[in-house]
Amino acid sequence: MKRYSTRIAASAACAAAALVLSGCGGGGSASGGASELDIATLTAAQSLDPADAIGSALPFFQAAYDTLIKRDPDGSYKPMLATEWSYDKDRTHLSMTLRTGVKFDDGTAFDAAAVKANMEHFKNGGGGGAKYLKSLKDVKVVDPAHVVLELSQPDPGLEFYLSDAAGLMASPAKLKDGSLKTAPAGTGPYVLDKGKTAVGNKYVFTRRNDYWGDKAKFKTLTISVFDNETAVVNGLKTGQIDSAVLQDADQQTAVASDANLTKTPFTFDFQGLLLFDRGGVRTPALKKPEVRQAINYALDRATMLDKIRQGHGEITDQVFGTETKAYDKSLDTYYPHDPAKAKKLLADAGYAGGFTLKLPRVPSMTDALVSSIQTDLGAVGIKVTWDQLDAGGAVQKVYRDRAYSAMVMNMGQSSIDWLTDQDLVTPGAFNMFGTTDPTVTKLLGQVQAGDEGQAAAASKELNKQLVEQAWFAPFYRLQYQLVSSKDVKAVTQSGMAVPSIYDYSPAGS
Amino acid sequence: MLRFVARRLVSGAVLLLVISLLSYLLLSIPDNDVGRQLLGQSADQSAVDARNAALGLDRPVLVQYFDWLAHAVRGDLGTSWFTSEDVTQTIANRLPVTISLMLGVTLVTAVVSFLLGVWAGVRRGAADRFVQVLGVAGYALPGFLVTLILVLVFAVKLGWFPAIGYTPIEESPGGWLSTITLPVASLSVASVAGVSQQVRGAVIDVLRQDYIRTLRARGLSMPRIVFKHVLRNASAPALVLLGLQFIGLLGGAVLVEQIFGLPGIGGMTVSYTARGDVPVVMALVMLTVVGVVLINLLTDILIGWLNPKARVS
Repeated sequence: MKRYSTRIAASAACAAAALVLSGCGGGGSASGGASELDIATLTAAQSLDPADAIGSALPFFQAAYDTLIKRDPDGSYKPMLATEWSYDKDRTHLSMTLRTGVKFDDGTAFDAAAVKANMEHFKNGGGGGAKYLKSLKDVKVVDPAHVVLELSQPDPGLEFYLSDAAGLMASPAKLKDGSLKTAPAGTGPYVLDKGKTAVGNKYVFTRRNDYWGDKAKFKTLTISVFDNETAVVNGLKTGQIDSAVLQDADQQTAVASDANLTKTPFTFDFQGLLLFDRGGVRTPALKKPEVRQAINYALDRATMLDKIRQGHGEITDQVFGTETKAYDKSLDTYYPHDPAKAKKLLADAGYAGGFTLKLPRVPSMTDALVSSIQTDLGAVGIKVTWDQLDAGGAVQKVYRDRAYSAMVMNMGQSSIDWLTDQDLVTPGAFNMFGTTDPTVTKLLGQVQAGDEGQAAAASKELNKQLVEQAWFAPFYRLQYQLVSSKDVKAVTQSGMAVPSIYDYSPAGS
Repeated sequence: MLRFVARRLVSGAVLLLVISLLSYLLLSIPDNDVGRQLLGQSADQSAVDARNAALGLDRPVLVQYFDWLAHAVRGDLGTSWFTSEDVTQTIANRLPVTISLMLGVTLVTAVVSFLLGVWAGVRRGAADRFVQVLGVAGYALPGFLVTLILVLVFAVKLGWFPAIGYTPIEESPGGWLSTITLPVASLSVASVAGVSQQVRGAVIDVLRQDYIRTLRARGLSMPRIVFKHVLRNASAPALVLLGLQFIGLLGGAVLVEQIFGLPGIGGMTVSYTARGDVPVVMALVMLTVVGVVLINLLTDILIGWLNPKARVS
């Protein structure tokens, strides 16, 4: 939050540009005072309509909208617009008691009818998160302060969804007219300052003084969107940005020695080879578990982490994150680098002479990453060929055309087991060939419908099964850094790649 | 002159139409699967298909183009697929940033290049060699390196200027100047290198002309000869180059806007094109074509005004 000496800057600029300017005073672009919070992000919100809310764009929405349930930094659920909630015995009815006396910033009252309208809007709005309410059958309005969510089947992720995009509540008066896309109307702690906002680039929110809960800790919240971390790092170093998450290992190194910045390392994404084609549709060899295991044994993960990420990460062989119930530390090193064993497994599977694996290469894949995979797999006889694709073309070929048997991807690791199950294990976007096995199907059922203890045990067993059967070939969990200035305290958020807006406070407060 | 301007404007309109069609076709070749990009990797395929259909992407490309054209001629450039904002508004928000850069660089280039070029051309000797070395160095230094060094030294180390961001001039003239100084300086290095050499060469050529010798023989002072006669005749090629560089600055602005985190149309062109945001990219293409036509026209008129021999009858 450093303020530039605009007099010096302007004077130098006047000389440099040979411009004659009178009265070159005035404020610079840097923020001033601890009452302002400037956050930088690489993820833009495609709109501010809750139906379009997904992933790392959530902070844009949290500023203007409240969720039914609040998720604390440690992942625990707290009341927000819902003050109480409980499941029935078969976990298909979630009864919620709503906060009363709350109004949206357009004056509309928040009540059970608003919850019903919002849930239907999210489910039918065509957004990327709509699938998370697939099991929602109906929303029964009991009275203005009570609703019951009826599910077609138990959904262990529902509380998470209601603390995330699906739980964002907008004014029901604005749900239909499309205005929410650029003019949010919520009950949140801030309101969007449209005059100072440049959509797609900089979003400025001002504190709502009639907020129903504790007032926001900063008078102004600015979220700036960048397309590269170099600019973000320069902004952090000069005090123009108060906080940002750095993903790139080089940029993390660039701030390592800056004593004015607080660095908090954390992991969220893993990077690895998702072996989609376990049924052998495109690459018959991948149908054999021995071949998939051989791929895992062939990878020299420690060297990859060192070369590609400069050691910023943790090697792993499992797709479940460290906060999940499925996580088993011993599975991080289940497949040691053992080319001889990989060759033997390939021979046992009838592929002693190896086979060819065609993979898509997108611009974000570095030469070091590509050459590591090619060298490690090549050493055991698996010839990797790369199709150079732009990011958009890859999306089309991978998901719709199902043209590839595997792909190197960075995947977020949720804190909720069921989210990982839904994204990676059940047939869908990342299991596009729809392969499964009876053990996995049985365990998924137990995770979904079992009580807490049963679900946890089934999750652990499921994870073990997936690692043993080598459904995936993860490399490592990527270490990111939450970097903040001395004036701002920021804490990482469980299950998210970026902190929630509630996770920032003035230093010393 | 009016007929000349009208003819250029009509040919510009034809050019606009042809380029719009070619651009739309080119943008439609890579199948970007906009729906998937909008809804995220984990979205259901049915939802992705529905979103693509809602954007009209399930129709033949020519139908999409004529639909876009029908709206565009009425001034409706559509809505960004990726930010949901009105395209005209999006560009209007960002254009002042890039225009500030381009005008700043052009102004700095014009002033510095003419001073250096005339100095080198008139004085020759050590001054000439010095300007030539500067020119070679300006060309040889990679633009991104110059930009990064300027940021590291003057923003990060010395703290004289902000490292990122842009302050609108109406908000604070001083703030505006401080935010564009380093970007303008980094873009001006190569521009000055090119134009100053052009001015130098033209000045030397003009000084060798017989009429200059006559003027000298009549006892006119050297400054008067230079500013009244030499510059007028030597400025035409430099102005052509300056005009071309003004257009070319949009390319340079891409890198500078990314490094300085400036919300201009240079960086925007790259990011929106990569994602395949057709309404925004088409508007940017149209804006660029209009800009090129107008700048070429203005350059021709200016050259005609400076040099009567170049005027169109």
